[in-house]
Amino acid sequence: MIYQISVPAVADVEEIRVLEWHGDLGHRFNQGDLIVELETHKAIVEVRAGQPGVLRKILSEAGKWQGIGLPLALLSDDDDEALPDANQATTDLLVDFEIT
Amino acid sequence: MSGEIQEATERMFFREAIMRAVGEEMARNDRILVLGQDVGAFGGSYREFDGLFAKFGASRVRDMPVAEAAMVGVGVGAAAAGYRPLVSITYMDFMMLGFDPLINYGAKLRYKTGGRLTAPVVVKTTSGAKGQGVAHSQCIEAWLMSVPGLKVVAPATAGDAYGMMKAALREDGPVVFVDHKRLFPIAGEVPVAETIIPFGLAKIRRVGTDLTITTHSFMNRVALEAAELLRADGISAEIIDLRSLAPLDIDTIAHSVRRTGALLTLEEGQVTCGVGVEVIARVQEALGPISAVRVGALPAPVSSNPVLEPACLPDASRVVMAAQNLIRQRRVPAWSKSNR
Repeated sequence: MIYQISVPAVADVEEIRVLEWHGDLGHRFNQGDLIVELETHKAIVEVRAGQPGVLRKILSEAGKWQGIGLPLALLSDDDDEALPDANQATTDLLVDFEIT
Repeated sequence: MSGEIQEATERMFFREAIMRAVGEEMARNDRILVLGQDVGAFGGSYREFDGLFAKFGASRVRDMPVAEAAMVGVGVGAAAAGYRPLVSITYMDFMMLGFDPLINYGAKLRYKTGGRLTAPVVVKTTSGAKGQGVAHSQCIEAWLMSVPGLKVVAPATAGDAYGMMKAALREDGPVVFVDHKRLFPIAGEVPVAETIIPFGLAKIRRVGTDLTITTHSFMNRVALEAAELLRADGISAEIIDLRSLAPLDIDTIAHSVRRTGALLTLEEGQVTCGVGVEVIARVQEALGPISAVRVGALPAPVSSNPVLEPACLPDASRVVMAAQNLIRQRRVPAWSKSNR
């Protein structure tokens, strides 16, 4: 199954900047692994995997801006699953996020 | 404008625009100091001074005690002695404590000494309501507009914050640079090339034909929301961001009102003796009688209560109502007929 990671809803934040991806394409994240760090106007948001997944496609590279709720990357259960066409609705990957 | 060359820009948070401006100016002029609460290792209440302490050191980026009268007093004194201090007052409400050194000394120094001394100090402060209650929410910039010798600016975008902070740090007299709590989460485009935005120039944010709305700071966003609602109602609103309150760019506003025939002023502060009063009076002096209305906070303290706070503040629906009434009751002065 294909999943997406979206910008989590953080109070007062409209837009974030991607600070750093913590894995290359094909990397398998286990539950609890740090996937990506996002920068808000005053804090860093750490997005961690809430379920295992393989990073397949980054939609917002480090340094790019993205609005709340919009997609950042696609992941899948297995590393050989076909990716969907662009703009196709995808299930959100379970994530935990922590604001520091 | 079709002939305008699109300059290269970089997207950044509002705080980063201030950080960049102050950092560039500090590198250019070693007389610039930053004084304020938490401006040092902490990087500023909104992290708008991030990195400056590490780069320029504790002698140029100085943490101060919670004593605004002393902070502004030290700033004005240091300015008279040849420095260019930027004094950061976290809440505009507490600028009141610094009025004596700023208004009685800083703003009058050049006049009092026949031009021998000047006080090139920038007081940067944050206005506006965001759930923090009666003494942490006020917008008192209109109080300062009437002080001879004081300049007051209130940018609304990251790009303007950058260009106007740079201009402020090059001024020869005291400047009050007003930002807003709700501007800090917003990002915007800032020119890649070094840019200075001179004071006294308003900016047309939205072009319209039926009504001119003047505003500043965060209320630009409310004005834009209102303009979209008015568009659905068949009313075309022009929005002018004042940017600089003292000096005021009356030419740009009068030129717009001459076309639209109606003026709505919008501010988050009180309407009594507010920014809008001054705008309307000066446009009338330029054009003769006009149809005008003021929109601002209700005459009440701004509560931290989540129901009472928005009830007190102007929002898009109140702007829309005021605009609709204004358009309905608009008188048609002789000069506007020939221009419409």
